[in-house]
Amino acid sequence: MAAVTLSEVRKSYGQVPIIHGIDLAVNSGEFLVLVGPSGCGKSTLLRMIAGLEEITDGTIAIGDRIVNDLPASQRNLSMVFQSYALYPHMSVRKNLAFGLVNLRMPREEIDRRVAEAARILRIEELLERKPRQLSGGQKQRVAIGRAIVREPQLFLFDEPLSNLDAELRVQMRVELASLYNRLGTTMIYVTHDQVEAMTMATRIVVLNKGRIEQVGTPYELYNAPANLFVATFIGSPKMNVLAATAAGGKVDVAGLGTLPLPSEKQAEGKISIGVRPEQVTIGAGELTIEGTITLVEYLGSEVFLYVRVASGDTLLVQAPGQSQYKIHDPITLGIDSKEAHYFNGEGLRVG
Amino acid sequence: MHKFLRRNFAGYAFLSPWLIGFFLLAIGPILASLYLSFTKYNVVRPPQWIGLDNYFYMFQMDQRFWKALQVTFQFVVISVPLKLMFALGVAMALDKGIRAIGWYRALFYLPSILGGSIAVAILWRQLFNYDGVINSILRLFGGDGPYWLSDPKYSLWTLIVLAIWQFGSPMLIFLAGLRAIPQELYEAAEIDAAGPVRKFFAITVPLLAPVIFFNLVLQMIEAFKSFSGAFIISGGTGAPLDSLLFFTVYLYNEAFAFLRMGYASALAWVLLLIIALFTAIAFWTSKYWVHYENERG
Amino acid sequence: MTEATITPAMLSTAEVARAYREAKAKRAKKAALLKHVFLIITSLIMIYPLLWMLASSLKPDNQIFGDLGLWPREFQWQNYWAGWNALPVSFTTFFWNSTVVTVLSVIGNVISCSFAAYAFARLEFSGKTIWFALMMMTLMIPYHVVLIPQYLLFLNLGWVDTYLPLIVPRFLAGDAFFIFLMIQFFRQLPRELDEAAMIDGCSPFKIYWAIIMPLSLPAMATAAIFSFIWTWEDFLGPLVYLNDMEDYTVPLALRSFISSDGVSQYGPMFAMSILSILPIILFFVIFQRLIIRGIAMSGLK
Repeated sequence: MAAVTLSEVRKSYGQVPIIHGIDLAVNSGEFLVLVGPSGCGKSTLLRMIAGLEEITDGTIAIGDRIVNDLPASQRNLSMVFQSYALYPHMSVRKNLAFGLVNLRMPREEIDRRVAEAARILRIEELLERKPRQLSGGQKQRVAIGRAIVREPQLFLFDEPLSNLDAELRVQMRVELASLYNRLGTTMIYVTHDQVEAMTMATRIVVLNKGRIEQVGTPYELYNAPANLFVATFIGSPKMNVLAATAAGGKVDVAGLGTLPLPSEKQAEGKISIGVRPEQVTIGAGELTIEGTITLVEYLGSEVFLYVRVASGDTLLVQAPGQSQYKIHDPITLGIDSKEAHYFNGEGLRVG
Repeated sequence: MHKFLRRNFAGYAFLSPWLIGFFLLAIGPILASLYLSFTKYNVVRPPQWIGLDNYFYMFQMDQRFWKALQVTFQFVVISVPLKLMFALGVAMALDKGIRAIGWYRALFYLPSILGGSIAVAILWRQLFNYDGVINSILRLFGGDGPYWLSDPKYSLWTLIVLAIWQFGSPMLIFLAGLRAIPQELYEAAEIDAAGPVRKFFAITVPLLAPVIFFNLVLQMIEAFKSFSGAFIISGGTGAPLDSLLFFTVYLYNEAFAFLRMGYASALAWVLLLIIALFTAIAFWTSKYWVHYENERG
Repeated sequence: MTEATITPAMLSTAEVARAYREAKAKRAKKAALLKHVFLIITSLIMIYPLLWMLASSLKPDNQIFGDLGLWPREFQWQNYWAGWNALPVSFTTFFWNSTVVTVLSVIGNVISCSFAAYAFARLEFSGKTIWFALMMMTLMIPYHVVLIPQYLLFLNLGWVDTYLPLIVPRFLAGDAFFIFLMIQFFRQLPRELDEAAMIDGCSPFKIYWAIIMPLSLPAMATAAIFSFIWTWEDFLGPLVYLNDMEDYTVPLALRSFISSDGVSQYGPMFAMSILSILPIILFFVIFQRLIIRGIAMSGLK
């Protein structure tokens, strides 16, 4: 039995449809990430699961119970908000205890849970402080603590790390991951940052303009993207995409040369070829391309080269960190037909 | 000197009307009033210094003074909380994005603008007449109304109702305050299994506390200064039996009916001190129940 | 249909969803209806006294009392004519008096208070903080404390029985509330405007006249409207300073209705009452948004 089941879920604001028929089954115990550009509907979807937004059409079930008209207060789930939403006039302790008090839990049980959550999140010294006395990272931990103490069957996260600075974000990512490993509860996580998605998720749902583009594990999304959108959205830096023409088992890549089309892939006519920066070899390959380096980005562990090629496209190539490349240098690149991704005229994956 | 003039000329030039007014109409009169409160003065003859006699008389022998205090206190203590409750209740009803909110807001606020007018005071006097509208409505429901205007036990209620009728002004301020509470807090509380009552007492009221406090102080001061309603409905004397002898009415009579300017000045100062005292008490207690968002530490 | 009988297995998703949606919509509609009923009833109760007065102004006296109805059986328009001339002085004089006093007061208020506000908000001068604190403190002075000495002052100046005690203080920025209101507004205008004008060689007076004032019309309008309403309704001031009925403003004249005539002539009295608040209602209806915004802005510092 799935933890959460969405069937043909739609959402419109007045006459404007935002979400067009989502079907999704969230498995119990998984860390599911909803990711996509802003406006894709991921937060709306999450809020519908939480009960904070009306469901225009379709059903949402938590466990085996349809919850379309079950108020949020009765869904036995917890939510961590992007802006933390801590009660500003209550101490951290009272913030943590608020939900439990509402559920009329015995005093000792409340105290026990609050102490446990505070210990896990290392906020014990902050218990008597007010939210305005806390830093962003501390507030975030209190928000998470408030979610933990309820011991819910489902955790919802609405872009919880977006308001933190880069360094803190990395730190919190690790903490959230270890929290998940520790608790094992089903978690649904919304973010626009594909790095968060890739690093934390057991499964990822890529959303775009209110529709699901692909559902899969990080490995599947990275190595077998279902369409151009997913291919260019997942993976940083972005995949190189070249226009190409397929005819009779051969692919003419942007006028730069031809690649044999692998036998299991069938395509004809105008297609696109995708190659990730680390899949482009430096030196000759199955298809050899000459180009000129227009920009060098040195990151320490690797170097990214922007190479302009004859067709006018610029390819992004990953090189080892110790290599010495200079701008305006000529360079030879190679593309392997078995490494490349093929997308047909509609942008869908071939084979 | 020259430099001082040059630098400050524009500022003081623009400030000059207010400066003149301040000295002539504010500071001067306040000090004069204090002085007069220690005199016996009936305008015809020059003021006679009598030291604290006015105050002794006031506190030890003047029954009407204590009656006026009592009536005014009763009015303030009953009408202000009721007014604020109506204001908050209606503000909360309007807050949830009703379509015709503009209309309702205007309709509820209109009485506030008209409430201090003589026309409304006159109207109120007739509404509470023994054969008036209020009693007619009560009779419709099978009861019988009292002699609102001539029975000292009931007369104050006419003014209390008049005050509550004007809840539109604090209501507007409550509306603005309610808007300032982030919706997310209610959502988080919703997820934390809080029902509507719990949400009200645990979130709305504490976060609205500064606004409640502001309204409380403002309305309290207004209530202490209330004059027209009591004057008109009581016929200018606080009748019946001084049951409508608001402090301001008593003061007016002492000054302009009996020309006891010295005593009236003393009364005015006592009023000032009472208002200051209550305001100070309000501020002092606010420490315990009003928490401002942007305090540090 | 209750939730217990609907399971995904029994019906298609679309049908299930529709059932939930319709049930929820029905509940929401009922709740909204209740709320509207409450609001409508409350607003009717609020408005009823005024409507009753309007209706009574058109009824003959013997039909006024005890009559809860809002539609007169016969429209006695003569009440208005009778009321207009009921007092020894006609209401033409009273309305004229009120207009003169109010208009002059409004002008005085707007000008002097904007001057003071400009000084506090935009100009630097030594002692500014002290004067500002004192100005704010005057907000807390009850009128009654200064009433008697002011009266004595005007008595000695021979100004009692004239309009001068009512009008001149307005030209001296006597009402700190308006100063405060305008300061809040001025603060929102970017200082760069002043600075640019200064670089262009404008004196502070020029800056006020050509830049600040035109941009502050909403604030000035708000101040003008409140000033109008409060001055038009002012009772204590005229009560103290005007003894000659020829000089009465409308509120004083209304009071004479009940004190001189005693009990009779309710229809005409209500008629004049209606007329007296008509200008206020008119202003309110037209400038509603400004008024409400002014309240909110002054309320929340």
